[in-house]
Amino acid sequence: MELMDRDRGPGTGERKAAWPVLTSLVIELRRIAGGAHVLVAPEDVIVYEQDGSILQAMPEIVVLPGSIDEVRAIVRAARAAGVPIVPRGSGTGLAGGAVPAGGGVVISLARLNRVGEVDLRGRTAIVEPGVINLDVTKGIAPQGYFYAPDPSSQAACSVGGNLANNSGGPHTLAYGVTTNHTLGVEVVLHDGNPLWLGGHVPDGPGYDLCGVFVGSEGTLGIVVQGIVRLMRARESVRTLLAVFDRMDDATRVVVDITGAGIVPAALEMMDQTTIEAVERGAPAGFPRDAEAVLLVEVEGVREYTERALREIDAICRRGAVRDVRIAQTEAERQALWKGRKGAFGSLGTLAPNYYVMDGVVPRSRLPETMRRVAEIGRAFGVRIANVFHAGDGNLHPNILFDMRVPGALDRVIEAGAAILRACVDAGGSLTGEHGIGLEKREYMSWVFTEADLGAMARIRRAFDPTAGFNPGKVFPSPPACGEARRAPAKIPAGLWV
Amino acid sequence: MTPSLIERLREIVGSDFVLTVPEDTVVYEQDAFLVARAHPDAVVLPGSAGEVTAAVRATHEVGVPLIVRGAGTGLNGGSIPVRGGVMLVLTRLDRILEIDPRGRTATVEPGVINADVTVRTLGDGLFYAPDPGSQGVSTIGGNIGNNAGGPHCLAYGVTGNHVLEMDVVTSSGEIVTVGSRSLDPPGYDLAGLIVGSEGTLGIVTRITVRLLRRPEAVQTLLAVFETIDDASQTVSEIIAAGIIPTAMEMIDGVVMRAVEAAIHAGYPADAGAVLLIEVEAHADALTRIGARIEEIARRHHPRQLRAAASARERELLWKGRKEGAGALGRLAPSYYLHDGVVPRTKLPGVMRRVAEIARAHDLVIGNLFHAGDGNLHPTILFDPRVPGMLDRVVAAGEEILKACVDAGGSITGEHGVGIEKRDYMKWLFTEADLEAMRRVKRAFDPDGRLNPGKLLPDGQPPAYALQTGARAWS
Repeated sequence: MELMDRDRGPGTGERKAAWPVLTSLVIELRRIAGGAHVLVAPEDVIVYEQDGSILQAMPEIVVLPGSIDEVRAIVRAARAAGVPIVPRGSGTGLAGGAVPAGGGVVISLARLNRVGEVDLRGRTAIVEPGVINLDVTKGIAPQGYFYAPDPSSQAACSVGGNLANNSGGPHTLAYGVTTNHTLGVEVVLHDGNPLWLGGHVPDGPGYDLCGVFVGSEGTLGIVVQGIVRLMRARESVRTLLAVFDRMDDATRVVVDITGAGIVPAALEMMDQTTIEAVERGAPAGFPRDAEAVLLVEVEGVREYTERALREIDAICRRGAVRDVRIAQTEAERQALWKGRKGAFGSLGTLAPNYYVMDGVVPRSRLPETMRRVAEIGRAFGVRIANVFHAGDGNLHPNILFDMRVPGALDRVIEAGAAILRACVDAGGSLTGEHGIGLEKREYMSWVFTEADLGAMARIRRAFDPTAGFNPGKVFPSPPACGEARRAPAKIPAGLWV
Repeated sequence: MTPSLIERLREIVGSDFVLTVPEDTVVYEQDAFLVARAHPDAVVLPGSAGEVTAAVRATHEVGVPLIVRGAGTGLNGGSIPVRGGVMLVLTRLDRILEIDPRGRTATVEPGVINADVTVRTLGDGLFYAPDPGSQGVSTIGGNIGNNAGGPHCLAYGVTGNHVLEMDVVTSSGEIVTVGSRSLDPPGYDLAGLIVGSEGTLGIVTRITVRLLRRPEAVQTLLAVFETIDDASQTVSEIIAAGIIPTAMEMIDGVVMRAVEAAIHAGYPADAGAVLLIEVEAHADALTRIGARIEEIARRHHPRQLRAAASARERELLWKGRKEGAGALGRLAPSYYLHDGVVPRTKLPGVMRRVAEIARAHDLVIGNLFHAGDGNLHPTILFDPRVPGMLDRVVAAGEEILKACVDAGGSITGEHGVGIEKRDYMKWLFTEADLEAMRRVKRAFDPDGRLNPGKLLPDGQPPAYALQTGARAWS
C-alpha cells in the first residue's frame, strides 16, 4: 500500500480526503496521464514539497499531464474526488505559491513545453505554460526579437509560473511586467472546461478577464496556453556600472536619474554584502569596499543611448560616485551583468540559508527606506544583502541566516515582516513581482480593506465556487477574531521549514 | 420610480441637482451614438464622492436601474438608459485633487475633462497620454468606462495602461479601492477589470492616473497617396520595419475634402489618402527615423512627402485630423461612426473590403482612423430623411465589423460595446466566454442594476427608439 506510506512524510497535516478516495483517484489519473506521469511514492513526490521559498508541505499525488485534454480530465477527476489542486511550473516561486499547504494533487505543467505559432510580423507567439522563459527569446533572437519579461530565474522558470505571479525582472522598468506582454490565455476552469480569455487583438471588448488571471497565483484555474507579445530588439544597448562609497549616495542617484526624465531599461542596485558574495562566488571585479554599485542599462536608437549614458554619468558624478565604468563592447557588457545575475546564487557563500523579501516603495522614498532596512537588520541581529530593481523602487532584501541555529528563522520572519511594514508605511506595497502565495497572505490586510478583499473573494467564487484551486494562498485566512488578523504571519499549520 | 426615492435623492444632493421633468431630462436621453435614445426616470448630479455613494445606496434599497454618465460623448449608446431608471451624471465631480510631479501621478474626480489633466500638468513638463478625439469634452470617468484610446495610443497604449488606482462604488454602495500607485499590486487585477466595463460593474469616484514626461522632440510627416491601398501598405511596412511612430493616422479622400472645405488644414483635396505620421524621439535621432519612414513611403508611389516645418503647421495638420469627424457634417446630415480593429498586416485587404461594402449598399463611407493600430473608423454618411437609408447604413456597418472579425480582428478598438454592439459580442465570444463575464458581472452587481442592457447580450430586445431624425454632432 504505497499510499499509506505517504502519511509518514513531514508536514502532511490534517487530510480531508480519505485514502479509498485517493486510491481510486490515483487509478483514474494513471488512466488519464499514463502510469509514468503520476507520482505517489514519497521519494518521488518529495521533490514537489517545496518551491523557491522556505516553506514546505508534501502533496499526496503529483501528476504531469502531456496535453490540454489531460489537464482537463485531471481537473475533473480531482474535483470529483474533492481533492485540492495545486498548479506548478518550474517551482522557482519565492512565496510558497506552489507549496501544497493542504495537500492534494500537484499538477506540474512542465511537460506542456511547446512553443506554438510564432508570428513575427504580428509580433506574437503562442506558448504552453511549461515553456522556459528564456527559450521564448532564444527561439526568436536570431530574427531580432525578444520576449521582454526577464525574471532573474529566466533560465529555469516557466512562462506559466510567470503568468501566475505576474513576474517582473530587471528590464521591467522600461517594459513592464508579464501582464503587459500577455494578450490572451486559455485556461481550464474548475469544471474542466477550457476558456479563452483575451486573444491576438489587444484591448478587446468585454471585461479584461485575461488581466484578472495574470497574477492570480493559480487560484482561479490553470493556464494551458498563452499568447505573448514579442518585441523588436533595440538598435543600441549600453551599460554602465557606477561604484559608490555610500549607499545613501547611490539611492539618491537613482532618484535623480529617474527624476531627470531618463527611463533606463534597467537600473539595478547591489549593496556591499552582495558585492562580497559576488566576489566570492562569481567574481565580477566589483570593489569590495564600496557600499553600493548601480548597474544602469539604456536602450533605444543610438543617438539616444549615447546621450543618456553621458547624462547618467554626469548625474553620478554630481552624486559623489567613486567610479563609473562604461561597457565598450558586448563582452564587457556581459561581464558587468554577470555579477548581477550571479548575485542570488553567490549569497550561498555567506550563509547556509537566505530569505528573499520583495517589497515596493515609491522611488522617491528609496533612500530613507534603505536606511530603515539597515536599521531593521541591526535591530533583529540579522545580516541583510540587498540586490534589487532600484529604478522600480522594488526592493529585494535578502536576510541571511542559518536554519540550524535555534530561533534564527523566527527572527528572520519577524525582520522580513518589519521590512514589508516599512515599505507599506512609505506608501508602497507587499510585493513587486514575487506574489503573495502562502508567505504574505496574512499581510494582505495591511494594504486592502475588508471591502477590497471581499471584492476579490467574489471574483474568486465567480471562477472557482469551491476554492479548490490552490487553496490557502493569496488571501488571509478567515479572521477568528480581530486580534488574529493583526498578528504577524505564522507558518501555516501542516508546514515545516 | 417612487416619490420617496426622489425625495431621498433630493435630500442627498440638493433639489437643484435632481431632474425629473421631461424638459430637463430629455438632454440625457442620448449620447453620441446618434441613432438611438431612451428616457431616464430621474437624473441626479452628485457633487461629491460621498453623495455618489449615498445615492447608490438609496437606489439599491429600492432596486432601480442605475446608469452612470460622463460628458455623453460615448459612441456606442453606453449611457442611454434603455431600461429607464436613475441616471447619475458625474460632471460636477470635476476637481483635480492632487498632482504629484515627482511621482508623475494625478489624482482626479471622474468628471474632470481629459484635456484638463494635460493642461494642468504642462507646466511640470508632463502630460496625460490617452487622447481620444473628444478629449476637449470627454471625461476621465467616461474614458475609463470605455477604455478610450486616441491617435497616440500607438506608442502609449489605451486608458487602461495609464490608470493606477481607483475608488469604485459597487451596486450595493460599498467602496472598493482597486489597483495601486505602486508597481504590480498583489491580489487580482480588479483595476484592469473596471477599466472598459462600461459602467456595468461599479461607479468610479476617484482616479489616480499616470503622467508622462513630454517628449523632447516631435516630428510630424504628411504623406499623400493616390490610393488607400498604397497608404495601407506603407503603414504595414513601417511597423514591420520595427518603427513605432507615436501616431500613424490615415485620412481618406472623402474626409480630406470635407476637412479642406471646413478648416483648410493643407490636405490635398483630390488625393486618395494621406497618412499623418508623428515620431517622438531624441532630437538627434528624429532626422534619421524620419528619413527611414520617407524611404518606406517612397516605395508606395507617394504624390508628396512633407514634414511640418513649424509648430503651427503641425497643429494645423492635427486640427484637420481631430476635427475630421465634425467636418463630415458638411457632406451629409448625419453619419454613423464605426470602430473596428484588424491586425495591421491585414489592413490593405480590409480597406478594400470596406470600399466594396460601400459600393454594394450604395453608400458613401469616409475613413479617418488610427492606421498604426489597425483601428478602423469607417464613417457612413447618410440622410435620415431618406426612407430605408438607415437600414442600409446599419446593414453595411454590420458587414464591416464582420469583415474585421473575419480578418482576425475585433468589433471595437476604443469606442466600446454599449447597446450598439452587444449582440455582435457573440461573433467573438462563445456562450462559455460570455457566461464567465456574466459571473464576474454578478460578483459586482448581483441584481443586474448597473447599466442594464449594455455590453453583454442578455437575450432581451434593445428597448431603445431608433433616432431617425438625427443630426450630426459637428
